[in-house]
Amino acid sequence: MSKFVRGAAVAGAAACLLASLASPAWAQDKTSIEWWYANGGRVEEGIQKIIADFNASQDKYEVVGIKKGNYEETFAAMIAAYRVGQHPSIIQSSERTFLTMIDSNAIVPVSELMTQQGYTVDWANFVKPVADFYLVGDTPAAMPFNSSTAVMWYNADHFKAAGFDGPAATWPEFEKQLYAIKEKGISECAMALNSDFYWSLIEGYSSINDYPFGTKGNGFEGLDTEYVYNTTPVVQQVERLKKWIDDGVIQLAGQGLSPMQLYTSGTCSTISASTAGHADVEANAKFNWSAAFQPHEEGVEPHNSNIGGAALWVLKGKTDAENAAAAAFLNFIAQPDTQAWWSEWTGYVPVTNAAYEKMKAAGFFEKHPTREIAIKQLSQGTPTVNSRGFRFGNSNQTSAILVEEIQAAWTGQKTVQQALDAAVSRGNEVLRQYEQLHAAQ
Amino acid sequence: MQPSEATALKGAPKGALFSGWSAGLAGLLAPSEEGLKRSYFKGTGLAAALLSPQLIILLFFFFVPSWKALSLAFVQIDPFGGKSVFVGLRNFVELFASENYRYSAWLTFWFTITQNIITLVIAGALAFAIDHIVRARYAYRTVILLPYAIAPVVTGAMWAFLFNPSVGPIAGWLHAMGLPWDPNLRPWDAVVLITMASVWNHICYDFIFLTAAMLAVPQSLREAAAIDGASQWRRFRTITVPLVMPTVFYLFIINFVYGLFDTFGIIDAVTRGGPAGSTTTLVYKVYQDGFVNLNLGSSAAQSIVLMALAVLFTILQFRALDRRVNYQV
Repeated sequence: MSKFVRGAAVAGAAACLLASLASPAWAQDKTSIEWWYANGGRVEEGIQKIIADFNASQDKYEVVGIKKGNYEETFAAMIAAYRVGQHPSIIQSSERTFLTMIDSNAIVPVSELMTQQGYTVDWANFVKPVADFYLVGDTPAAMPFNSSTAVMWYNADHFKAAGFDGPAATWPEFEKQLYAIKEKGISECAMALNSDFYWSLIEGYSSINDYPFGTKGNGFEGLDTEYVYNTTPVVQQVERLKKWIDDGVIQLAGQGLSPMQLYTSGTCSTISASTAGHADVEANAKFNWSAAFQPHEEGVEPHNSNIGGAALWVLKGKTDAENAAAAAFLNFIAQPDTQAWWSEWTGYVPVTNAAYEKMKAAGFFEKHPTREIAIKQLSQGTPTVNSRGFRFGNSNQTSAILVEEIQAAWTGQKTVQQALDAAVSRGNEVLRQYEQLHAAQ
Repeated sequence: MQPSEATALKGAPKGALFSGWSAGLAGLLAPSEEGLKRSYFKGTGLAAALLSPQLIILLFFFFVPSWKALSLAFVQIDPFGGKSVFVGLRNFVELFASENYRYSAWLTFWFTITQNIITLVIAGALAFAIDHIVRARYAYRTVILLPYAIAPVVTGAMWAFLFNPSVGPIAGWLHAMGLPWDPNLRPWDAVVLITMASVWNHICYDFIFLTAAMLAVPQSLREAAAIDGASQWRRFRTITVPLVMPTVFYLFIINFVYGLFDTFGIIDAVTRGGPAGSTTTLVYKVYQDGFVNLNLGSSAAQSIVLMALAVLFTILQFRALDRRVNYQV
């Protein structure tokens, strides 16, 4: 009996030992760190290219990039890994997780890490609306990486056929255009509804038109914030979208089909989607495509739109060598050359002024005018309390609730007002839970 | 080990394999005593060693997670594990007070029962039919079995595409017939779609078992009935059906478990629980709340409810149905 057990134990231990010896870090005598990211397609190719360039640029560190699914899946995977101490050094996390990450007690603020590791980063050089979103005090907690905002993509051929130069600047005018396109039979589908419409058409709408989304400066001034979007023109915006759906002006892609495909295939004439769609549109749209600013309400001086995309966070609990590797990599990311290349490859906005100037000087935006819309839209008007961004805890959860309730309005189970009231009240419950958990700190 | 096998082994210790076994086990086995079966081990050590792989699997994949779920169900916890507040039964109270949760429970009940019955009926009909097909029987059988080789997520993606109101060919036919099909906006269409996809993916499983069970029905009984003048339908109803009942009963429980837990991949690919949560079954809700929304407390409470439900229904099924099933042939 004892022989049997001892044999098994020895075999098991040997297997563990072998497994640990076989890791590449030991074999190559380099410090290897992991970066978990969430983008696919052409954007992922860009990420792998940056990693390869970094690994080739020096021989002390090695970054291994692993795709863990979409933003929510990557975030969940990171949390599960963190709880058992198997987390990566660097995690790409979407803008809406900002407060959750700050309160997680699981991160090393990027500015702190860079100082510790002896890098000087000129934070003032980061494009203001992007950098401001990630600030805690005066320094950013995360490294802005793939920052975006939603623009209005349109099919210029369809607009020309309907007698328009391009999407109108205001929602009522834009609505007339969509109906004209549909009624003149130019396109069966005047607009495709993107899956992240809550980000572009609800949150972004509130930001551009300067409507409050929550109390306490959209959460900037305290955890005791509450959602208020059921009392603002967001109600009328959702009514508008519902009317378009009912009239067949706007189409939902549903599962099995990406809404962006409805646009790039030429089926739908417009889509409000991230500027990062450039990678996809440039590769796949076989018509005269273009993009414009997001519309605003009549009589409103438009403010900046909301940022999207993600930033890179450094997680706690790593060795000094691993932190040094993470810092070296982030320093590489922050270089104007990397930034400019990344922006040109993907369509994300350049996040440093140096990269922006570099692209301008090279005449990039003259050749690709739609590439500049996002950064201009992010900087339009004076930022207000309502347009500077959100600080809500568990924002993944509250946006899932918002989408679910809005769908209930579209399917006719609730009126728009009832749906938004329910979304606000359920969302506020989540905010209270978050407050209860984090108020003590 | 069946008693008959044990005796057989006792009488035939000649094989090389067997002698190797006895040599290897000599140190571990207590010497067998007169009058006891060979399969009786005096020491508990070997029994424990032989049981341990299964027990370890159970421990890590059942008991530890169950305990974790139980301990999380009574707290509000920061997903990073840093902070947690004991909230007593609040997670459960909020759950039962939630309209969405009650809807989800109702949907799950409807969905599991419907897919269960439809699957059994269709698989039964196919198995019955295959008995009467002479030409290309194997080809039919292969075609029917194919869906089982397809992963639920792929099934889901396929159905989602075929029935997509914008581009799906089948959705196009439905529209041409004047039906307002749109699973993105009509909750009932979405429920029908996930039910069909789940049934389609699982028919073959039931079909395999039912075909085998029907083959096992003694030909002599059917021939005897035929001689007595019973029609084909009557022979099926009065001979085949009672004799395959144990298999049907087994499949009923398996289908129930499938519908309750394994349709997750299909739902995720076909509807993502929407529109407006109309296809969010209990399991999908556990996933949504736990892994997307990171509300671990509520998700754990839901898992507990689900576990209790599964146990309860299985007991009820055994109680209610087992008595009516005849296991003797």
